[in-house]
Amino acid sequence: MRKWPISLIAIAIFAMAIAGISALKQEPLYHTQSYVFGTLVDISIYGEPEERAKQLANQVLQDFQNLHNQLHAWKPASSNQPSELGTLNTAFANGNKPINISPQLATMLIDATDLSVKSQGLFNPAIGHLVSSWGFQRDEFTAVNIDDAKIQALVKANPRMTDIVVKDNTAYSTNPNVKLDLGGYAKGYALDKAAEYLRNQQVKNALVNIGGNIIALGQHGNQPWRVGIQHPRKPAAIAALDLADGWAVGTSGDYQRYFTLNGKRYCHIIDPNSGYPVQHTQSVTVLIPPQKNAGVLSDVASKPIFIAVAEDKARTAAMLDIQYFMVIDQQSNIVVSNALAQKLEWLDPEVKKNSHVKLVTLP
Amino acid sequence: MLSLLRSPKPTFKHMLIGDWLTIIFSVMLTVYLFQTLWSHEHASKVQIRIGDKVYAAYDLNQQRDIKVHGAIGDAVIHISQGKVRFSKSPCHNQYCVHQGWLTRSGQAAICLPNQISLELIGEQKPYDSLNY
Amino acid sequence: MQIQTTIDDHRIAKLAAFAIALHMVEAVIPSPLPGVKPGIANIVTLYVLLQYDFATAAWVSILRVFASSLLLGQFMSPTFALSLSGALLSLGTLWAAQHLPKRYFSAITLSILAAFAHIAGQLIVVRLWLIPHASVSYLIPIFATAALFFGLINGLITAKLLYNKTQLLESDKTEHGST
Repeated sequence: MRKWPISLIAIAIFAMAIAGISALKQEPLYHTQSYVFGTLVDISIYGEPEERAKQLANQVLQDFQNLHNQLHAWKPASSNQPSELGTLNTAFANGNKPINISPQLATMLIDATDLSVKSQGLFNPAIGHLVSSWGFQRDEFTAVNIDDAKIQALVKANPRMTDIVVKDNTAYSTNPNVKLDLGGYAKGYALDKAAEYLRNQQVKNALVNIGGNIIALGQHGNQPWRVGIQHPRKPAAIAALDLADGWAVGTSGDYQRYFTLNGKRYCHIIDPNSGYPVQHTQSVTVLIPPQKNAGVLSDVASKPIFIAVAEDKARTAAMLDIQYFMVIDQQSNIVVSNALAQKLEWLDPEVKKNSHVKLVTLP
Repeated sequence: MLSLLRSPKPTFKHMLIGDWLTIIFSVMLTVYLFQTLWSHEHASKVQIRIGDKVYAAYDLNQQRDIKVHGAIGDAVIHISQGKVRFSKSPCHNQYCVHQGWLTRSGQAAICLPNQISLELIGEQKPYDSLNY
Repeated sequence: MQIQTTIDDHRIAKLAAFAIALHMVEAVIPSPLPGVKPGIANIVTLYVLLQYDFATAAWVSILRVFASSLLLGQFMSPTFALSLSGALLSLGTLWAAQHLPKRYFSAITLSILAAFAHIAGQLIVVRLWLIPHASVSYLIPIFATAALFFGLINGLITAKLLYNKTQLLESDKTEHGST
């Protein structure tokens, strides 16, 4: 019966393989997900005691909540607790008398104006009136009656960030049609604030995801943090990439917030030049190397590239100093900059198989 | 009869052609079973989160509807033989329902208005967080 | 009152007793995974099937399942249900497989098929009755590997036993012839 022990060993090896897989060794990883005003905030902290990690994550959430309260553009000033931005928007509409704003908001306005100019107005947080005429300020999108005349009038009013004059923590607008909507900026700003806070608290390794925009601190153990990029038309990731210390990634897509009317998709990204939602692009992903405002750039930079027509996308990216970007158009063709292509690992079986991926090198 | 207790050394010389065919077929069947049931992407569980809490984790190897009470109402999550989907949701846009079936580990469906998320977890998650 | 017993009854009883003994031996051998056992008692079933007939093999197999579970105090327990369902499906397969041409298929094929049927029977009970919500699917490949491995080994042993037996008979015959 010499054969039995060998067979038992074989079975034992299988059993150990199973046990090994199921009992993945416990990592010092704290992970939490929360909803803050319709945004999913997902925080991973590695290598901190759980209690401390929990406190840190809660503080990040608290900060984000405060920021949201401050920047909520749609709370009317007449309500009991108008947001700071709501008050400012009311002041803009009522004339060009400067009102006091917090230093934090002043800095944000100057920075946002800078980026708006750099993107030749494609990133334009001053078009709040357009956004609300499309109903995109609500948490839940519903189809609206498209009023072409009204949209044209709103575009013609030409609200621009440069209409806002910020001086000594006061602000006013030379154009009463300016209404600020920092929706495409605030999440990135919150990301930078979260990273700054965690670094100040001596946290070495963390991954913060605010509404899809992600910033990395340190690593996940001995490996870099790994991030999946959502497929715009499937409930899965299309690709994955390693996010090294200080890097941030952001995607603008037509799949998160949109409504459909007569078979057409109207997403929340509005072309400020036409006043209509962009329909030629499914998603744009940008990867931002470590820098002071990496989070803001991950949020902001994808929008102008999204809005620009196909032949202008690479130029628009260059204008914003974005080297790492990926565009998926309405026909699901994928255009990736060379720099980003080297970092991506495709997960989608269709992309892997057909590889209808067009590589574009920046001029 | 006692010969059974003696250690009879198995020899292969008794094997006939049909036996070899049986063995080859069985090996192929076993390999196929490993490939389909043990692939790394195969998810084994769905984790349901409501708000910031993990509500429950369910095995995917079953057929059942789970009614979950979210922020704005009751959603129905349908599990069927290794797959899961939102089958009913009180939210207006119904994005979560339109996401359809989730089958592989790491896939997720999120219903922001109702604050419910589904995430498939398996042996291996291909990434730490999802950029969308 | 006296119960009339036939030679067949005695033969079945003897073989079943032997199968029960093997079953008991196996029951005390610790298994790294519940459900994964060499199934050496199946050698007896197979041997009986090929040496005598299907009816005798079925009797031996069913008697073994009932008697062993009674002796081990597992009668009507989940272990008993697993054992019985495995044995029944295994017997069903053997009944069908015994018609395979003997020229090409030996005890080894029967043993492997019976082993697969055995785990299939057990998994059906697990899935339908014991733990209907549990994920048993990822265990199937392991059970299949075990079935293939032990089915082959048991088959080889059975084939060897049968071969020894025929050789013994043949040598008997030659001895008789010489005298």
